[in-house]
Amino acid sequence: MDVILSNIRALVPGRKQFHLDLRRFVAEQITRSWILMVWLIAFTAFVGWYTIGQLSAAPGSTTTVLIIWALTVYMTVISELQKDHTPLTFWLKENMYNSINNVLVTLFLTLLILAGVRAFYSYAWVNASFETDPITSNEERPNEITVDDALAAYRVDFSNFPEGSSLPPRVILENAAGTPIRQVTLTKSADDPNIVIEELEDIHTGASWGSVIENLPNILLFRFRDPVIQWRIWASIGVLVVLALPSFVVYRGERYRGTTTRRLLTWAWVASPLIIFGLLYGLTAEGPLQVVDPDQIWGGFVLTVIISVFAIVVSFPIGMLLALGRRSNIQGIPWWVTYPVAIAITIWGLLTTTPANLEASRNTAETILAYWPLAVPVLAFFFQRSFKGNVVAAFSTGYIEVVRGTPFIVVLFMSIILFPIFLPSGWDISGVIRVLLASALFSAAYLAENIRGGLQALPNGQYEAADSLGLSAFNKYRLIILPQALRAVIPAIVGQFIGLYKDTSLVYLVGLFDMLALANGISSQNNWLGIRTEPYILLMVIYFLGSSLMAWYSRRLERQLGVGER
Amino acid sequence: MAQGSIDPSGRRFKLPSLLDVRVLGVLAQLAFVVGFILVTVWFINNILSNLDALGESQFICIDGSSKPRCSFDFLSSDAQFELAETPIEYDPADSYWRALGAAALNTLKVIVSGIILATILGTFVGIARLSKNWLVANIAKWYVDILRNTPLVLQLIIIYFSVLLALPQIEEAIKIPGIPIFISQRGVNFINATFLPSAGVWLAFLVLGLIQAQVLWWILGRVEEQTGRSQNRFLWPIISFLAIAILGWVFSSNDTNQSILLGRQLQVEEISDFETLMLQRYDVNTLGEIDMLVANEVMTQDAVDELALSLCVLRDAPSEVNFTAQLRQRGIPYTVRRLSSQSRATSSFADGDCEVYVAPTAVLAGERDILENPNSFLLLPVQEAPVRWSIPRIEGFNFVGGGKMTTEFTAVLIGLVLNTGATIAEIVRAGIQSVSKGQSEAARALGLSEGQRLRLVVLPQALRVIIPPQTSQYLNLAKNSTLALAVAYPDFWNIANTTINQSGRSIQIMLIVLAFYLSISLIVSLMLNAYNRRIQLVER
Amino acid sequence: MTATNTKSMGEDVIVCHDVHKWYGDFEALKGVSMRVRSGEVIVILGPSGSGKSTFIRTLNRLEEHQEGSISVDGIELTHDIRNIAEIRREVGMVFQQFNLFPHLTVLENITLAPIHVRKWSRERAEEVGMKWLTRVGIPEQAEKYPGQLSGGQQQRVAIARTLTMEPKILLFDEPTSALDPEMIKEVLDVMRDLASSGYTILAVTHEMGFAREVADRVIFMDAGQIVEENVPSNFFTNPKEERTQRFLQQILNH
Repeated sequence: MDVILSNIRALVPGRKQFHLDLRRFVAEQITRSWILMVWLIAFTAFVGWYTIGQLSAAPGSTTTVLIIWALTVYMTVISELQKDHTPLTFWLKENMYNSINNVLVTLFLTLLILAGVRAFYSYAWVNASFETDPITSNEERPNEITVDDALAAYRVDFSNFPEGSSLPPRVILENAAGTPIRQVTLTKSADDPNIVIEELEDIHTGASWGSVIENLPNILLFRFRDPVIQWRIWASIGVLVVLALPSFVVYRGERYRGTTTRRLLTWAWVASPLIIFGLLYGLTAEGPLQVVDPDQIWGGFVLTVIISVFAIVVSFPIGMLLALGRRSNIQGIPWWVTYPVAIAITIWGLLTTTPANLEASRNTAETILAYWPLAVPVLAFFFQRSFKGNVVAAFSTGYIEVVRGTPFIVVLFMSIILFPIFLPSGWDISGVIRVLLASALFSAAYLAENIRGGLQALPNGQYEAADSLGLSAFNKYRLIILPQALRAVIPAIVGQFIGLYKDTSLVYLVGLFDMLALANGISSQNNWLGIRTEPYILLMVIYFLGSSLMAWYSRRLERQLGVGER
Repeated sequence: MAQGSIDPSGRRFKLPSLLDVRVLGVLAQLAFVVGFILVTVWFINNILSNLDALGESQFICIDGSSKPRCSFDFLSSDAQFELAETPIEYDPADSYWRALGAAALNTLKVIVSGIILATILGTFVGIARLSKNWLVANIAKWYVDILRNTPLVLQLIIIYFSVLLALPQIEEAIKIPGIPIFISQRGVNFINATFLPSAGVWLAFLVLGLIQAQVLWWILGRVEEQTGRSQNRFLWPIISFLAIAILGWVFSSNDTNQSILLGRQLQVEEISDFETLMLQRYDVNTLGEIDMLVANEVMTQDAVDELALSLCVLRDAPSEVNFTAQLRQRGIPYTVRRLSSQSRATSSFADGDCEVYVAPTAVLAGERDILENPNSFLLLPVQEAPVRWSIPRIEGFNFVGGGKMTTEFTAVLIGLVLNTGATIAEIVRAGIQSVSKGQSEAARALGLSEGQRLRLVVLPQALRVIIPPQTSQYLNLAKNSTLALAVAYPDFWNIANTTINQSGRSIQIMLIVLAFYLSISLIVSLMLNAYNRRIQLVER
Repeated sequence: MTATNTKSMGEDVIVCHDVHKWYGDFEALKGVSMRVRSGEVIVILGPSGSGKSTFIRTLNRLEEHQEGSISVDGIELTHDIRNIAEIRREVGMVFQQFNLFPHLTVLENITLAPIHVRKWSRERAEEVGMKWLTRVGIPEQAEKYPGQLSGGQQQRVAIARTLTMEPKILLFDEPTSALDPEMIKEVLDVMRDLASSGYTILAVTHEMGFAREVADRVIFMDAGQIVEENVPSNFFTNPKEERTQRFLQQILNH
């Protein structure tokens, strides 16, 4: 109340002396440079033009905004002149009206946002329809009229129109302004060919939220909507909830540090992906936990979660090994082994394969390729120079860099196309499993780089202290290095999980039924022909909420771990 | 003191024990190599037996035999599929090689324009994030948050299906007042510069102008140093450059290579005679009235077109742009017949399909002699300008002339730019914030304006922080361009995928795809590393 | 009178012969030879970059020497991992930066190595660890994390961590250089205590008072070589080498 009162008081000038150095004000705000002046003139003209346009488009709200704007500017200016700011005017001065330019920007942006909000509001609410079954559930029940009446009323030619046709002619009725408001669907009655059944339907120019409402269970659960297996989803969520609730207590503070409770809970967490996988995939050939065909059953949001969780969990150990491999400094193969072997291969190749290849060569490229042995010493040289003969580091580096240079979608297609070629012919892996493996292998390369960052951030003294205490290499990493490095990269790992969560939207391109595939499918459903935007908006919301939630949690975690402060 | 005698023989040649770290290391290496080879051999075995199952068609040679060395031969055979857009000539009868090459150029087009636009957008938004205006900062924040927390492919699809395909039909294309840009369902058509043959001469003049401007700038600098009086180092070089540019324009316009061929019965001796001709045909007093004919419903549009000057031109030839620009200038109505080859154009002209044949002088002089009665035709030289604006016009159901961005390309470009721009904005913001407050305060204390502070003090320092993560964003953009598949833009990955489906050679194409994207990654990172090194050096 | 006379010295526990070490082209150690007898307290002095830290770090293989021989407690220091492990069990090291493990409590820091290297039971490790914590004067800090302690306390924990492993030889690598002046004393007190209880100690330090008071022998290194070694009384009052004189002048007259 006080705030409001003091703000109102600020409206009334007087009492205090005005102090306005007009010359300084003009110099600062307008004539500082000629670019600024030109800009201000042009921008003022533009904002004026835009405001007039908005005034004619939506007089009420635009006028309100204009009045509020003028009033707050006035209040702020008076307060500034009197050097007597209320909290509101101070905030306005700091954040909205800190220069003439910003005064104009604020007005323009407010009007722009207003126009956007108005457009969206009329699209998503005023003109929107929430009917889940647009034709039959209409409040106007089918009306029977004679053919002659129909002809007279709608000027339609029915002569060639077969009885009970599945493609009825639709007549659009417009209002005086030319906006379509109703649609009449005309069908010949099966009993009496002289009777026409008339169905009236409101046409709405906004969103058809019915498409989303009707398809939401499908988009979220896909085949797990089936009541026979639906309990498995709830059981999986139950497992997570049961584990998550005690975690808030057990992992907080020192009370449960090193206790069996905490160790048990950790092991339960480690085991939970397996349990959930068992629930969702199935364990037995028959019975309640019957094995399902993931290609047919997994889909929608469930599939998104399965892929992202599987990828991050499986890629974790692989990524850790790759990171350690890339950083490993174990004794490499000495140069006096590498070079002789390389030269031997070169000589052998030049003597045996090159002549035959040159003979058979059909073009320049093949002629050049025939001299492949010459590349071997060059490779050996780079191998020795970059990796000091360390094969493990070379392999890890190569794997990480090749995968990181390849687009995810290419990896997905490779998994679909190449897995069957790389594996023995008998091994038939379903599409979903191929995608799961590919995502994990892909994610491992990025995870490895994150973990490597954590390892590099660790001071050298930690390694030295562990060494000087005589810890074995295994114990050094298990007890000292990895616990610290991994804790430091938790935010990065969460970030990567968010990336995976978003990237799963690509699997529809290789034929899996993820949310995007199901959303695309809506546009070809009979009731919702051509409806695309509404389901896409739903997906945007789902992805946005999921990612922002995780990002928010990651930031919180980062603060808790104090990673940012190091 | 501590100088003991060395006894090398005793120590150096002692055989190390099995538990020597070096021995263990080498053993581990060997074990790894052996394991790696075993797995590789297993894979290769599987591949070979699976390929056997696929049959020998994988290795078919051009001559019909089948050898492993012919694995890539199929790429020379006909692709047999269409490409929706190509920067180079392409026909379904061309080879897979050419199809992939055209698609690679499409990819490069997206990547290069995407990187440039995303950098500009990202920089602006990054600065806007730090704006003193609460609204600006928050709009920028929401833009970044929404774009970064939703999948790129979804953004692309929404831009394509819900935004671009919801634009008006081509006939009702959105026009931006004053600028010849048309936005419709079918993409963006915009005014574009067409270079005529004489442009070469003009460009030479421009280069000359640039060189002299640079020299002049340098000379003025020396004068400034020696006399101590400040010189206007920007005005004079720019004026002299403009003078040379105009001189070059006039000079190259004189040297015309363009002509038209027309029947003498039209009684046209120079271009301005067309005006008289048209005034007679339409029976009007000024050419401006022709437009009114349709408006006043005196004539139909078809009737107007019927009487208009009909032109035969070679498809995509600059000569059309050059001549029609002059016709438009004079307000002469015309219709155009585009023919795919010189011989077709000539025979079309001979058949009387059109009144005027537009082509380079050299072409027309030769073609006139082929005609039945060469002397009844007049070869009229046409004024040429080195560069002519080509303006898109609706003809039938399509735009003709000008530049064009297809809907698919536009969707991919907008999607990639918006998405990468959001990430770059965060990088730019972090970079600017990394410059310590002291630097800004020092700049203010020196009396620099806000703009100068940003341009001269903050940005140069922020760049060092910005460039490394920026590099990986450019690489991400290059990799994300593969999502063009979702909106059917014929980029490299899309066409490679089509090739796999059509030819069944998955391994070969996948190898090419990997090589393509890995080399893009390599090139981009090498370039930016070089740039990075330069920046670091300058800094020292 | 020197300390040498009052303490009983055993046989040689560290024997270095002509130790060379290169970092790329830079030769950090240019043939260092020395012997240390059991129970001896040696302080190594020298200007920064003289190779003194590098030298004591070669003694437990934190740095690898390329030429020459080092044997500790009769074990030759080679690439053999058994030898390295055995030597590291017998040689404890205290670092300039403490290098405590920040994710473990003080007691966990101390008992980690005994449990996993010496294979002691947790009870025994904790008992011995608490004994040493008491000896360095901070038994009440056992459940805290290193980040919660002051620098001096952290260094004392590091010493206790080293001692719980019951090493025969202690290496100190500038243990007081990272400490605030008021904390140096508490660490030096602990070191004095250790020196008088019979440990073999090699310490790199700038604490001249400690060297003068406690050391049996002072070694002066410069440019990767041992320039002079002497008993402290002679070293500080009557240095033989001209280089040593200059060094002492700079140190003592500032």
